[in-house]
Amino acid sequence: MSNQEALDPTASSTDPILEIRNLNVQFEMDRGTSRVIDDVDLDIHRGEIIGIVGESGSGKSMLASSLLDAVVEPGVTTGEIIYRSPDGESIDVLDLSEEALRKFRWEQISMVFQGALSSFNPTMAMREHFEETLEAHGYPVGSGMERAANLLSDLYLDPDRVLDSYPHELSGGMKQRALIALALVLEPEVLVMDEPTAALDLLMQRSIVSLLADIRDKYDLTMVFITHDLPLVTKLADRIGVLYAFEFVELADTESILREPAHPYTRALLNATPNLDAPLEEMRPIEGSAPDPVNVPEGCSYHERCPLATDICRDQPIFEQVTDTQAVACHHWEDIDEIPLTTEVDQ
Amino acid sequence: MSTHETVVSLSGVDVHFDTESGINPFTDSETVRAVDDVDLEIDEKDVIAIVGESGSGKTTLGKTAVGLQKPTSGTVSYRGQDVWKARKRFSNPEIPFSEIRRSLQIIHQDPESSLNPHKSVRSSLEQPLKKWQKGLGPEDREARILAMLQKVGMSPPHDYAERYPHQLSGGETQRVALIRALLMNPDLILADEAVSALDVSLRVEMMDLMLDLQDSFNTSYLFISHDLSNARYVAEHADGYLGVMYLGELVEFGPAKEVLKNPQHPYTKVLRWATPSLEITDETEPPVRKIDIPDPVNPPSGCRFHTRCPYATGHCRESAPESRSADVPEHRTACYRIDEHSDYWDAEPLEGAHVDR
Amino acid sequence: MDSVDILESSEAIETVAEETLSRRERWVLTIERGVLAPARIVWADLRARVGIIILSLFVAMGVIGTRIVDEPRTNQGERLEPAFQSFAHPLGTDSVGRDVLGQIVHATPNMLLMILAGGVFTTVMATAVGTTSGYLGGSTDRAIMSVTDIAMTIPGLPLVVILAAALTPTNPLVIGVILTINAWAGLARAIRSQVLTIRRSSYVEASKAMGMSTMSVVRRDILPNIMPYVLINFVTAARNVIFASVGLYFIGVLPYDNIVNWGVMIDLAYQGGGLQSMEAAHWLFAPLITITLLSFGLIMFAQGTDRMFNPRVRARHSTTTKTSDDDGAPSASPGDNV
Repeated sequence: MSNQEALDPTASSTDPILEIRNLNVQFEMDRGTSRVIDDVDLDIHRGEIIGIVGESGSGKSMLASSLLDAVVEPGVTTGEIIYRSPDGESIDVLDLSEEALRKFRWEQISMVFQGALSSFNPTMAMREHFEETLEAHGYPVGSGMERAANLLSDLYLDPDRVLDSYPHELSGGMKQRALIALALVLEPEVLVMDEPTAALDLLMQRSIVSLLADIRDKYDLTMVFITHDLPLVTKLADRIGVLYAFEFVELADTESILREPAHPYTRALLNATPNLDAPLEEMRPIEGSAPDPVNVPEGCSYHERCPLATDICRDQPIFEQVTDTQAVACHHWEDIDEIPLTTEVDQ
Repeated sequence: MSTHETVVSLSGVDVHFDTESGINPFTDSETVRAVDDVDLEIDEKDVIAIVGESGSGKTTLGKTAVGLQKPTSGTVSYRGQDVWKARKRFSNPEIPFSEIRRSLQIIHQDPESSLNPHKSVRSSLEQPLKKWQKGLGPEDREARILAMLQKVGMSPPHDYAERYPHQLSGGETQRVALIRALLMNPDLILADEAVSALDVSLRVEMMDLMLDLQDSFNTSYLFISHDLSNARYVAEHADGYLGVMYLGELVEFGPAKEVLKNPQHPYTKVLRWATPSLEITDETEPPVRKIDIPDPVNPPSGCRFHTRCPYATGHCRESAPESRSADVPEHRTACYRIDEHSDYWDAEPLEGAHVDR
Repeated sequence: MDSVDILESSEAIETVAEETLSRRERWVLTIERGVLAPARIVWADLRARVGIIILSLFVAMGVIGTRIVDEPRTNQGERLEPAFQSFAHPLGTDSVGRDVLGQIVHATPNMLLMILAGGVFTTVMATAVGTTSGYLGGSTDRAIMSVTDIAMTIPGLPLVVILAAALTPTNPLVIGVILTINAWAGLARAIRSQVLTIRRSSYVEASKAMGMSTMSVVRRDILPNIMPYVLINFVTAARNVIFASVGLYFIGVLPYDNIVNWGVMIDLAYQGGGLQSMEAAHWLFAPLITITLLSFGLIMFAQGTDRMFNPRVRARHSTTTKTSDDDGAPSASPGDNV
């Protein structure tokens, strides 16, 4: 469908499992309407790992929540999120009834939340958490627990030991992995993860990222990995979307994002990220600060901080495909090399 | 080391915690050996970054260095004066404890709780001035606070001075915490994961600010981080030092550039691997035999890293290596592999490990 | 950050003011920040306003009312004159002709003193004990808590009854203390729990690093965080004093030969058949309603002033902050799930 391609320029002929159209999330506040997701269109392809990168205040957690229609009150979610199940059904997630939504969540799309290390019930052993989830969705507990044990050992955990433990007896890394197993116990198609590794040690973060790639291959999943840590997600994702001020500014495959990012914000973000390889003097913070959701600037939301900005930037740039693999929303993307990349990624 | 005077020196410092055993009098209380036999010297205008994961004891080490944690054994000295001896009454120290207390300050990790939520920014910043600069009148204090706020880029300063912590962003809160520490003109500031809670793009800004102010205030920094990239930024910029901690021990220490260019300890190499860089590399397996960190209550025998080290042998399990330097004298590592003549090379590798020169 | 106007750090740290405010200006500023701003917050809340009005009424009654209304004497008027009949006796009279209104008014000062004594005693004891114990920890904590636990487990009512019967106190302050003799213990434990959490906060450690004395840390960092709790408990203690005193006078444990007290009134009205017939009903209901009203006023006041200790509310009401973007959803800061 050419319409679809125009909306999500990086869609090749792979089939989308989630089609997001005109997604808007807003909150009414005393001082105005706060728009935390601003007219987002996105296709998520079956079997891919897509990374969504944004800083605090970019709207990324809201995007995650909206995929399960779980945006907190009093937020209002509008638009369409079409989920195409493996048997060919099309479901608009935002249109589901309470009961249907309850079945949908965790069975089709499952989520690992931010700050989830405290989401276990401290009075229940891990086993009971799994059993409770299985029973709540009417799944047979016997085979479900077998699957849980397999998931746990795929995540390098000892199933018997972990299942018999209480949450406080497990380390942060173990809990996080157990949480991933819990999210996968009902065999969902899509796994959404919002900063799943934020509170963990470096080594554990990196290891879990490796594990996730294996899990995706073994269980045939689609994954959405949301984070502020761009370098981390490049180790995992096939495509990366960059969120700024509540909308996508760039969406491309990982290699392009690292080697030739087309949006000034992506470049600035790469330059500002401390890393081990780039020369020190060239790491630079980004001037200015992120916009207030109630008061987003006219036109391109980044233009007040952008070194390439000119008058034309007062018009909202269109998010469009600029190469085979990259889509960007910028009037000046062709001049992007005026902003040098300090990272000089090796070929 | 530099030719500057030593500000703080730790010698043979142990910090052990007894975990409570509860009501049962028959269970042994367990000891967590958070810091084990660490020596460290911090000179004037030094920047020392300490990296490690959870359970490494880096935070405990940091707090011991600034006198907020009493060591179980060993000494902590400020300009030659034993800090904890100075604290005792009737000890008549050369440098009084109040002076020491003023010179050693801290910036915490969590912006949400580093400032008293009930006090405005002005009120929080007046506190150190009222205590330590008694010669200033209220207007002087006000002017100084405003000038400092302006200096760190919080403008207009009057507006910021009136705000409460919940009205500040994380980056702003940390800057206020930095000012609060600097107002006392300290000799050493412990930055305990001070940038870890900030957005990636704000970290460089905050670290730049800290380094900027270091020049003018003549302060040293002890910068604790679990993130090697942040540690590298701060330490290399200031030509400082980098230390790596694992389960309470300082396993590698040296000039930051040197340590990062030639990491000697296997654990340091693992940390390097684990730090995401912006290169596209192939997926590699973690270069450790086990992913999970051992329980700090029951650390492994001998070299504590032997359970996970890809090069471990039976020798490593039996006894712990001393810290020694190879080519560069300031660069010390606690690993047998530094020493060509060590018994390590003749011992059997452990399961899953291999010995290669 | 590199404009010419920025002072060099060395200058910044040495900054001294160019002009000084006059004493008067300084005072005005202090009052504005310390008194008027909190007062504005409290007044803004409807509950607090209601509470303050009611409490002021009672205080007025106690202070001025006693001068305006005559002291009750026997045979002031007809016996059991009903309420709302005359201006001389607006609430009627009791079975020996004493003016009911007069009794209500003249009982107020004693009652207020009792409440004050009991409330202050309980709150101060509990805060001091709980904070010290929680903050110092270790063996001091264990020792203090052992004593507290013993105090807590001694049954309250029998203890009060015994003390009242043994000491037969007449001074309202003493009575107030006796009536709440072991209420502080439970509160102390609760405060200790809160203090245990607060003392681990980063800003408390920062204060210690700055060399602040223990007293200073407790006063600046710990107390403001537990104030809402303390305030509610002050009010609860006060209410308990009211009810306890009323109850104890009612059952005759506290001696009341010459005392005018609402509890006494209830007792006498009850004995005089207040529950059975309509004749003495006004005599019974007047003190009941008075007690209820005072209790209500105290609760409203506590709920309202609770807001004063919330820094978010305080910031919103401060006239000196230009930007007030803190209606519960501040402009995004790291840590927000946005």
